[in-house]
Amino acid sequence: MSIKASEISDLIKARIDKFSSATEARNVGTVVSVTDGIVRVHGLADARYGEMLEFAGNTFGLALNLERDSVGAVVLGDYKHISEGSQVKTTGRILEVPVGPELLGRVVDALGNPIDGKGPVNSKLKSPLERVAPGVIFRKSVSQPVQTGLKAIDSMVPIGRGQRELIIGDRQTGKTAVAIDTIINQKGTGVKCVYVAVGQKQSSIANVVRKLEEHGAMGHTIIVAASASTPAAMQYLAPYGGCAMGEYFMDNGEDALIVYDDLSKQAVAYRQIALLLRRPPGREAYPGDVFYLHSRLLERSARVNEEYVEKFTKGRVKGKTGSLTGLPIIETQAGDVTAFVPTNVISITDGQIFLETDLFNAGMRPAINAGISVSRVGGAAQTNIIKKLGGGIRLALAQYRELAAFSQFASDLDEATRRQLERGVRVTELMKQKQYAPMSVAEMALSLYAANNGYFDKVDRRKVTETEAGLQSFARSSQADLLKSINAKPDLSKEVEAGLKKCCDDYFATLG
Amino acid sequence: MAERATIARPYAKAAFEYAREAKAFAEWSQGLRAAAEIVADPRVAVLTTSPSLTAADLAGLVTDVGGANFNAGMQNFVRVLAENHRLPLLPEIAAQYEELRAAVENTVDVEVTSAVALDAAQSENLKRALNARLKRQVRMQNSVDASLLGGAIVRAGDLVIDGSLKGRLERLATDLGS
Repeated sequence: MSIKASEISDLIKARIDKFSSATEARNVGTVVSVTDGIVRVHGLADARYGEMLEFAGNTFGLALNLERDSVGAVVLGDYKHISEGSQVKTTGRILEVPVGPELLGRVVDALGNPIDGKGPVNSKLKSPLERVAPGVIFRKSVSQPVQTGLKAIDSMVPIGRGQRELIIGDRQTGKTAVAIDTIINQKGTGVKCVYVAVGQKQSSIANVVRKLEEHGAMGHTIIVAASASTPAAMQYLAPYGGCAMGEYFMDNGEDALIVYDDLSKQAVAYRQIALLLRRPPGREAYPGDVFYLHSRLLERSARVNEEYVEKFTKGRVKGKTGSLTGLPIIETQAGDVTAFVPTNVISITDGQIFLETDLFNAGMRPAINAGISVSRVGGAAQTNIIKKLGGGIRLALAQYRELAAFSQFASDLDEATRRQLERGVRVTELMKQKQYAPMSVAEMALSLYAANNGYFDKVDRRKVTETEAGLQSFARSSQADLLKSINAKPDLSKEVEAGLKKCCDDYFATLG
Repeated sequence: MAERATIARPYAKAAFEYAREAKAFAEWSQGLRAAAEIVADPRVAVLTTSPSLTAADLAGLVTDVGGANFNAGMQNFVRVLAENHRLPLLPEIAAQYEELRAAVENTVDVEVTSAVALDAAQSENLKRALNARLKRQVRMQNSVDASLLGGAIVRAGDLVIDGSLKGRLERLATDLGS
């Protein structure tokens, strides 16, 4: 695209025209010291906590420490041009990010500035980064599901709209993969997604963007990126910025999903800021308010009732609930969930999905440990059909784990035990799922039905995945109507059950 | 700087309260200003941190140089500062003392920097406007800085009212640049 000179000068003319040249009265202070992005300012007697400060050269900062004779602030962005004696002005504003549907499909930084080279974000609204979570009066209990498209999660640790479900595990266990699959599966469901990348490699972020684009999932997704090379202040603020963008959809009676990838890196960035601001270090050198750092963020994920939405939109949207589902990610070190940040976030969230290295290496992907993964509220939101069929799966796996440990010592097993072990092995196999291949409710129901009713028992354990794929393609070609009807109305009625039975009978008969 | 101000505060407050009880604001102002100038002098500044001089020597030196500027209370004050090794803080103490005094006397020091020299009428107008704006009796100090191009900048403590052409151009530049 060529730049038209007249267009540009017209633009500038318009902006000069609009420029308000009123005399400004501001509080001014002087920089005393600059250390690693932390600035101490003398003066600024009227600065308020969390206020934006303006430095020379269109740089902004955030007042975080209000002391008797000085203000401690973090610089948002480059600080090389700020020196001792520089002037700092108060702005009377707090940090805001642009919000609205215009952001969908864009990659922005922690403050909502586009970084994808697709031009300015023309959003009409702004929202403060820090906001108090909706109160109890405006909340509604979780009752609708977020389909992740992963059998293991939707059947055993279901997630509801407005729930906070932690994804926790060591490095390289597929935490991001679970989140990305969930985002991809929201295509066409009306659930808007926000993916907040904190402290990650630029290449990983680029990868995520590319994968989402390939699967056509960028259209309903906003990516907020604060990579490892951005200043610690931006990494600390990115989750709040992303949350504000997600809240917009919740406030307007829509459903949204936000992934914080990952909060342990955010806590590390915050620790850096706190130590440089000379706040007293506590456990693992984190400051005293790390719990509040995460609890106030995750409290903003909520399901709000119709009155809230109506009040918020001033009556424009009536009779609709809104939700913001939170999927925080925490990286553990060598499976240690008793470290400070993991315990905090586990206690804040409504359940957790544990991913384990051993399972991952054994080929179980997603590497979900079904024994210790829980969802404390999601059961209420599960679709009827998955709830009925998934109960058996959980039970079979629980019994299998118990027996498997026990049967290692037993040489000959009775028939019933052997059967349970066989079933367990096959269900475990069945829980494997490829990345970027989310399943619909109907497909999931079919696989679960077949497993529950022992169709896989006669299949060789190494061929379970293959057989399942065959069953799915058979159903898609011969029983498309059945799948469609289940997706439209996910109840396990008599007809549906008969349909599933017929489908399984027909397919497994062909295997001989 | 921030830490120095924090340490200087109790001294300034003590000096101020002593002066208020003795009803000797002006004398103390004069004494503190003189003492601040003495310790700011590079020749004295070297000595104030020197380990070879005792507190009494230092106090004696400062009071001798100050001479008639120091009343008896002021002399004792210098001695206390010397004993606590806080003589280098005198400039901050003097500044804070003046702030406290200005708050009680309901006055405020205002620096006005203008592009061209203000005439008497303009100065009077500005003073009246500032009296109303700051709700205090304004003590104005005028200076001229041609680089402002036009208008003036009013500075009263932390508050800066920028009505200069230069400031407006800078804001326009930021606005266009963003």
